[in-house]
This record gives sequence, C-alpha cells and structure tokens, in this order.
Amino acid sequence: MPHLTIDGLPIEVPSGTTVLRAAEMHGIAIPKLCDFEHLKPYGGCRLCVVAVEGARTLQTSCTLPVSEGMVVHTDTPQVHEARRMVLAMLFSERNHFCMYCQVSGADCDLQNAALDEDMTHWPMQPAWNAYPVDASHPYFVLDNNRCILCRRCVRACSDLVGNHTLGIQARGAEALLVADAGALLGESSCIRCGTCVQVCPTGALMERFSTYRGLLPQTEGVRSICVGCSVGCGVILRTRDNHLLRIESDWEAPVNRGLLCEDGRFKPLHQQQGERLRAPLVRRGGRQHTAAWEEALRLLAEKLSAAGERLAALISTRQPTESLAAFTHLFRDTLHARVVTSIEEGYATHPALEAALASGQRASLDDLRQADCIFVLGADLYHNHQVAGFLVRRSLPHAAQLILCGAPDTPLSAQAALDLPAGEEDADTLRRLSAENGSPALRQAARMLTAARRAVFVIGRGFAARGSAESIQALLEAAKRFDARLLPLYGKANSRAAVNYRLQAPFKPQGALAACLFLGDDQPHPRLLARLESVPFVVVQASHASELTARADVVLPATTWMEQSGHYINLEGRLQKAQAALQPPPGILSVQETLQRLASLLPAG
Amino acid sequence: MIPVRSMVLVSSDPLSMSRGAQAVYERFRQEVVRRGLSSEVAVHTISEVGRHQVAPLVIVYPEAAIYGPVSPEDVPRLVDEHLVAGRTVPALQAPRQALSGSTAWLNTRKGTLPAEQRIVLQRVGIVDPGSIDDYLQHEGYRALRQALTGMTPAEVAETVYKAGLQGRGGAGFPAGLKWRFVASARGEKKYVVCNADESEPGTFKDRVIMEGDPHSVLEGILIAAYAVGAREGYIYVRGEYPLAQQRLKTAIRQARARGYLGQNILGTDFSCDLQVHSGAGAYICGEETALLESLEGRRGEPRARPPYPTTSGLWGLPTLVNNVETLANVPAILRHGWEWYRQFGTPSSPGTKVYTILGNVNRTGAIEVPLGITLREVIAIYGGGMKDGKRFKLAQTGGSSGSIVPASLQDTPMDFDSYRKAGVSLGSGALLICNEETCVIDLGRVLLHFFRRESCGKCTPCRVGTARAWRLLTRLSRGQGTLADLDELRYIAEAMERLSNCGLGVSAAVPLTGILEHYRAEVEAHARLKVCPAGVCSMTSPG
Repeated sequence: MPHLTIDGLPIEVPSGTTVLRAAEMHGIAIPKLCDFEHLKPYGGCRLCVVAVEGARTLQTSCTLPVSEGMVVHTDTPQVHEARRMVLAMLFSERNHFCMYCQVSGADCDLQNAALDEDMTHWPMQPAWNAYPVDASHPYFVLDNNRCILCRRCVRACSDLVGNHTLGIQARGAEALLVADAGALLGESSCIRCGTCVQVCPTGALMERFSTYRGLLPQTEGVRSICVGCSVGCGVILRTRDNHLLRIESDWEAPVNRGLLCEDGRFKPLHQQQGERLRAPLVRRGGRQHTAAWEEALRLLAEKLSAAGERLAALISTRQPTESLAAFTHLFRDTLHARVVTSIEEGYATHPALEAALASGQRASLDDLRQADCIFVLGADLYHNHQVAGFLVRRSLPHAAQLILCGAPDTPLSAQAALDLPAGEEDADTLRRLSAENGSPALRQAARMLTAARRAVFVIGRGFAARGSAESIQALLEAAKRFDARLLPLYGKANSRAAVNYRLQAPFKPQGALAACLFLGDDQPHPRLLARLESVPFVVVQASHASELTARADVVLPATTWMEQSGHYINLEGRLQKAQAALQPPPGILSVQETLQRLASLLPAG
Repeated sequence: MIPVRSMVLVSSDPLSMSRGAQAVYERFRQEVVRRGLSSEVAVHTISEVGRHQVAPLVIVYPEAAIYGPVSPEDVPRLVDEHLVAGRTVPALQAPRQALSGSTAWLNTRKGTLPAEQRIVLQRVGIVDPGSIDDYLQHEGYRALRQALTGMTPAEVAETVYKAGLQGRGGAGFPAGLKWRFVASARGEKKYVVCNADESEPGTFKDRVIMEGDPHSVLEGILIAAYAVGAREGYIYVRGEYPLAQQRLKTAIRQARARGYLGQNILGTDFSCDLQVHSGAGAYICGEETALLESLEGRRGEPRARPPYPTTSGLWGLPTLVNNVETLANVPAILRHGWEWYRQFGTPSSPGTKVYTILGNVNRTGAIEVPLGITLREVIAIYGGGMKDGKRFKLAQTGGSSGSIVPASLQDTPMDFDSYRKAGVSLGSGALLICNEETCVIDLGRVLLHFFRRESCGKCTPCRVGTARAWRLLTRLSRGQGTLADLDELRYIAEAMERLSNCGLGVSAAVPLTGILEHYRAEVEAHARLKVCPAGVCSMTSPG
C-alpha cells in the first residue's frame, strides 16, 4: 500500500486509488464536477486539480493514481486560483444565472463549488448561446443551458446502464448533450431509467415530479428495497412532510449498486391508481358501506369459520415475508383452506430446478456482472428485470457475449452475438446444444459457451415454471457441460420467499368455494377473476380501489409498501429489509397486522 | 534493376494526379515502347517533388532536367528531343524560382543550391513508391534483416536510444526511452501504432514520406515492433490522405507477399502484421490518446494521463505510438549505427528534421536538414529569401500548435532543446514565414478559429477558452476591443496552458501568449487606438 502526504497528513491507501478518493477517505474534500464515485474517472472539468510536488503542472486528482512518497497540496493559492479559473469558464459558458434554477441553494455542485471558493463574480464576460429546453420526456426535462458538459449522464447511460442513448454532438464550444443523433429525449431510445438525472451535478436534467418541491437538506431519505420485481434493488425513498418526492437508487446497495429502472424509479410516482381506501367496506343490500374494523373483521371471522375448508386464499408476492408467513400459518395450518397460494399461482420455478439450485449452481448478480458469456433462455431482459438486463448490456460487446434463445424481439436482440429462435421443444434444443450437433447457430453457441470462463444461464420465468421435468433435466445437464451458473428470474419482489412457503399451487379448486380472499395490491389474472363469479363471499385487502375491490363483499384498506417495513428475498436468495418511509393514513393496517387481528377473532384450533 | 540509359520520373502526388499525371505517365510508356526504347529508358512514377505551379513534373536522369507542368501532348516532343536526340527542352523546363526546397537537392548536383541532408527522404523522388523491388534495390529491408537476425530486441532499442532520436511529431520525447518503457511494460499483448494523422495545418512531411517511400515506414514500424515485442500494428492515416493510404496498403500487400510482414518474418520467429486505419477528419485524433480512442471505435477525445499509452494504450495494453518521421529514421540508424546518426544535428537533438516551408518566402516546400540550423538560414538558403524583399516579422512553427517565433529568435538553433530554452517550440516541422505585412491579431484570430473548431470539447479550459479567445480577437480586429479584453485574453491563455487535458489546449494558449508578449504595442494599438498597424484588420464591424 503506497504512502503519501496530502496537506501534511500522512496517509496510506490501496494502490490504484486516485488522489481524489484517497483525500476523501481521509476527510479532505476536493471540489469536483465531472468525477462521480461510481463512474470511471474522466478528467474533463479540471476542477479537482491539486499541486503534486515534482510535477511540472497541476494534476487532476480524479484521474491521478497515488504513488509511493507522493506529496500533494490541495490548499495552495495556486490551486484555489485554478479552481476559480475553471469555475469562471464554466459560469461564462452558458446561462448560469441561478435564481430560477431548482437546484440553487443547496443541490447544485457548481454553485456550491463557487461558494466554497468565496466567488462573488467571475472575470470573464458571459458569452453564451441559448438552447431550447427539451421537455418531451415524460419523467424529466433536459435544459442544455444549465449543462456543464461533464458527461456524467453520458457515462452513466453507457457505462452503467449500457443503453448508449445520451451522447455529445459536435466538438469544442459547440459540444452539446443530445439523445441518439439529436432526437428529442421523449422520442429517443431512452429506456427512462433516470440514472442520468440522479448523477447530474447541476439543474440540466430535472425530474418533473420532485422539482421545486424541496432541496436535499429539507428532505428525509430512507433506505429501502424496491418491490417492482425479484431483483430487489436498494432505493432511497426521498420524502418531505410525509410525501414521497422521488425514489433514488442506492449506490451502497449490494444488489444494484446504484442502478434502477423505470419501474423502480418513476412508476410508483406516476402510476395512475384508484382512490385510496381509508376505511373497511362491507357489502349490505348490494352496496358497499363504510364499516369499522371491528365490524368488518367479525363478519369475516364468522364467514371464514362457516366456510370451513371451502376457502381459497391468495396473497400478493409483493408482500413482505412476515405477511407471507402469517398468511400461510393462518390459512394453511389453522383453517386448512382448500387453496392457499399466491396471486402468481405457482408461476415461479419448477421444483426440480429449485432443488438443483439449492445444491450450489445458483448464480448471483455478481456472477452476472462478471460473466463473459450470457445465455438467456426465454426471458425479456429489456422490459423485465431491467437492472439484471443493465448488468448484461453494459458488458457488451467487449467484456461479454450474449446469446439469446427464444427471447422476444427487443432492442437487445441487436446487441446479441446470437439470437436463436425458440426450438419446437426446449429439451431437444438444450440437448443439441450440449451435444454440439444442432444447427450451425446452435453449434456456434456451444463453441462460445465452451470458450467462456464465466458463463451464466439466465432462465426466464416461462421456462423455469412451465418447463417439463425433461427440459429442466436438459437444462441442468447443459449448465454442467459448459460449467455455467444458473440465474432463474422468478417473478415479483417476494416470489422467491413465496416458493419457500410453497405458495405456488395453481388456482384449481376442487368443488365449490364458500369464500375467497385476496391480500395485497396485485391484480389477479382475468381468467381467475371470471371464476369469482360463482364464489358467494369475496374479501379483498388493498391500498387503492380497483376492479377487484369493487367486486368484493368485504374490502379492507392496506398500507402501501412504502408505509410498512418487512423483509424480502430476491432472486439471488438475498434477504433484505424494506423500511417504511411514510406514515400510513390513520386507521389503516398492514396485511400482517390484519391477519394477526383476524386470527385472534377466530376460535382457537 | 536493369541498367538503363535514361530514367523518366513522373510526379504522382495528389495534385499532380489531379492535373493528369497518370496520362502523362502512360503517354511516356507508350512513346518509349513505340520508339523501341524500352530496354534503354525506364519510366517510373515518383512522389512529391515539386512546387504546385509546376505539377505534374517530369524529371529525366541522368541530366536531372526538370520539366513542368507537363501535359500528355508535350510527351512526344520530350521523347523525341530529350530521349532520342539527347537535347534538353528549355521551353518545357520548370522555371527555377518555382522549384521548391524539396527539389533543392536535385539542383545541388548542378551546384546551384546548398545540399540538404536527407535521411528519411533519401529515397523520396528516387524510388517508385509502388514497387517493393525498387525499395529493395535501395537497401530496403536490410535494416530489418539486420535487426531480426543479428540483434536482440533490447539491442535494437538501445541503438535507437543511443542515437538520441527524438519524437518528430512535435514533442521531441526520446524515442528510445519510449521503446524501453513499452518493452518493459507487462501485457498479454502489445501494439505499435504509427501516428500518420498529420493534421497540423501546413505540415505535410509525413505525407511526403508515406507517398514517396511507404516501405521505409513499414520497415521502421516492424523494427519498432520487434524491439518492443509487439505482434500487431496500426497505421492511423489522416483521412484526407487517400494516396498515402493507397500506397501504404500496396506496400503492405507487397511486403506480406515477400515475407517481410506476417508470420515468421524473414524465416525468423518474429511475426507481425499491420493494418491501415483511416482517420475521419478530426485534428484532435493526431493526439496519441485520442487516436487510440478513435482506433477503438469511440469518439476521439484524449484520455487522462497517467496511465500513458506505454503501459495502457490500445485496448488497455502497452502500446508504442510513434510519428511517421520518427519511425522512418529508424532503418537508417540501424544500417549505419548510432554514432553515424549522431554526427548530424546537435548533441542534444541529433539527426535531421523534415520541415515544410510556407508563407512569404520565394521557395516553399519540404526540406530535410540537420537539426540545429537557424531560421535565418532556412529562410535565406532554402526559402530563397523573403518574397519581394519584405522584412521578416515572425514564424509560426509546427502548424497551429507550435509557437510564434519572433524575428529576435531567428538565430536560435532550431533543435528541440534550444527552442525549449528560448520558450518556444519546434512542433511538427511546419514553418510559416510571415513578413511585416502580417498582423498578429489577424494571425491569432485565424489560429484560434482553427482551435475552436477542432477542440474536442472534453475539458473546460480548452472548450471555453478557444471559443472565447477567438471571439475577443475578432472583436479586436474590428476595432471593438478594449484593454480589458487583453486582460481576459491573458487570463484565458493562462487557464488553457495550466489546466488543459491535452496538448491542444496548451498549444492554443501559445500564440495568445506569444502575441501578448512579443507584440504588445501592436496589440494595444488595436485595443486603444482602434488601428491595425499592419493594415490587415478591417477595424470596422460588418453591418
């Protein structure tokens, strides 16, 4: 580990660390704009220059690796003058009159850097062109007038997300941030993950929802888990006065390390939902009437006792493990209901596959990060489980090769080295792959997998859940043949836990049902809704009104995922805690609390 | 080579080609065959020899008679008179004052001009650039054979180091040292990249070498590859040089067919292959790390350094990047030894330098002379003096990225070291000679216009500074400038010089500093009196 001195402080950091990072690790702040901890060093803005003894010129600390015996000064008059020079040039380059900017006052790295240097003006005459503002995007606005061309967004878009939408057009002073080859953002290849907005150091990229609703110091951030899908990304729920302002990705989260997709970042804010349910509803005389919890639960207990085992209970796989446990205990162990399952109805994995995975062939997301050959079987990583898709796409084409098999046609197809059609029979295709006696493309795939050192098979839900025992066997053999690890995608945020609780039976009740319960916010399949017509008593617990609640005989209001804490198991098998960030409206219970109260009302045993 | 009585050389540089050199060449061949002279007279194409007014040019040996401009219709007469009757044809000869410095060596034989010292240009204008046989006749590939069969890679690098060869791209970094760095760097693979993106305005030395003697470039690259342990190489050629690209590709094909390139070169264990990659018109891609980015298929923006290409270059692997002229020096150094090479030039900057002379002198063109001769000598001897007897005011060296060299420095030896000590730089070898009718504000404006268009826009000082400085200089040239503008210009120059990411921004500051330092009075006249002493600037705003 090299030793160096920064501002007289002797320090020791791992070799390969940059001077900037070394200084930060020891509490010495160096102003920076283009540098961002989770992006590769760029060295464009030049604000982070420091004086290094023995060096002819000032050095950018963001790109300079430490070396043994290095002596660095960050606080000399020369360094401060250089910083002011860079800031003067940036301020004079575009329209940086702060008063109307939403980040002014705390959230602007440019403004903060100038304040730290005690700048009140700059010695260059402003000489800027006016650029049109691009407001074509549904979630954010691009204002090039506030852009400092640091390319954080460009680098995030290509190096982190692998989408390559943002880029720089033209050269020199005419350089301009554009989407694709100059398309409007809203009409571009943008996949709306919003990573660019989160890394923007100025007000050039602003989120529509949270703009002007609070500067960072006025808000609170709670670390939680996204419940959009089984990847289980870490998020920070940014709130003010018990209102959600925005969802940020968590750079420290081991699962996503700062990545987040549209479903995680924007959908929860922008999704159209029915009216919030604030009190239980009970159907009397054909109409739903507001009722007290006590009344609704007593009615429920009564009906459930009467129904005996002619009862079906379904729970959302977006519910935390605590709810799933209470649910299973009550309906399976206590009430012996005929159907106890999840709303996904057994649409997760095949038991044979699950058994094999338990013996250690399961891939982690880190395996996917480091994979050099990725074989995707029947999954759409472009639209679903997008963060896992980002991990694949950003490695292409240099660090990894992608083979798609039976995947839908998406922009990802163009990035794949091979796009194999779905075979007539999965088992047959996989066996031919292993035996290297299939079509030329299949043999090519086999050669690529043989050459790979860290191959990963990504298995779509369709294959994993509906595949025959034979095809699962062929899959396991192929994985063994190519020494590949397996990553089944599962479905929703807690599908993996639902598998643990055996909540995967299909909804195929024998005989007539006396009652049916739906717990949690997910909408069941229309096919299942149709079956409800014949069920005399339907209970729904949800946070918002929907078609399903309209159909119900008893409706119980529920907390949303942001209003309750609980644990989730992601597709890798990682147990994570989601933390409540908002206070629920008064008189609203979580599914877990509801189940507890209901259990206490039922006759024991 | 079959001994012949006479040899006819037809110039085939791009300009000559565009003016029908190919037809002239073909007509010569027809006429020679028709008169049954094929066994006595050889007809070849050669590269850049003459000045533009007289292209296409025909040189007939052994008389070294220079004809130009020659049209196909002139050919029968030349054949009848010169080749059959043995009389030169004065009416078709090129006027002497039109001949450039690059033909000075021809005239030398007749005792009219002082000799150049040609090392890298030794075969240019003599060999047929499309013929590997011709190259082999002129000692071609002997240095490569010598290196591969008689020297270790370390000995080769050592020889180049001892010769004191400095990078001819402009920076003058010791080539042997760079070779050592790459040789000792660790990497599963190494690359050699020949920087042939020559994009400095007014610089065309590399084009002359590539078009006139492409095999010498290949030989230099192969020797370098052997010395550093590279098995693959690229020649990144400026997009505007189609002829150079074509000649290099032909040379590569020929060398591969003859076993000088590819697997087991000359029957040894050494294998190496080369590819020509065309640039796409960006000046910045001549900067070595931007060039590597461009080679990898990305936007041409310079990388942060360290790490240097010697340890982390193309695809992150150790890479030797050398300029065409640097590499073209290598075969001669190996053939004749480092002691021989050191007899040319100065102790700190040995060897020769190819300069391209342009501007207000009587003769322009490419010359190769030892490092260390002075600007005064270049102007007086090779440039034929200042045009119309005007006074020399300044020289702009190295295209746009060199220095403003004021008249007070015209007796400073032109070598990397002396120039550095004098606070100026030699750059790539272009010498734009300006007379007293040149306005420094106007010159600066032209230079900054170039930089502002070519700045890649990555780093703040260069992106903002070049555009702003151009605007201020434009204002000064229209009589709208103020003294405060001069302070701002100095401020911008300082920022660009201290804080830019690559040489472009630093270079852009140099003419600004040069103007403000050496021509303060003239600059202030623009700002304070709204007068352009040279009478160039309009001093009126349009509209």
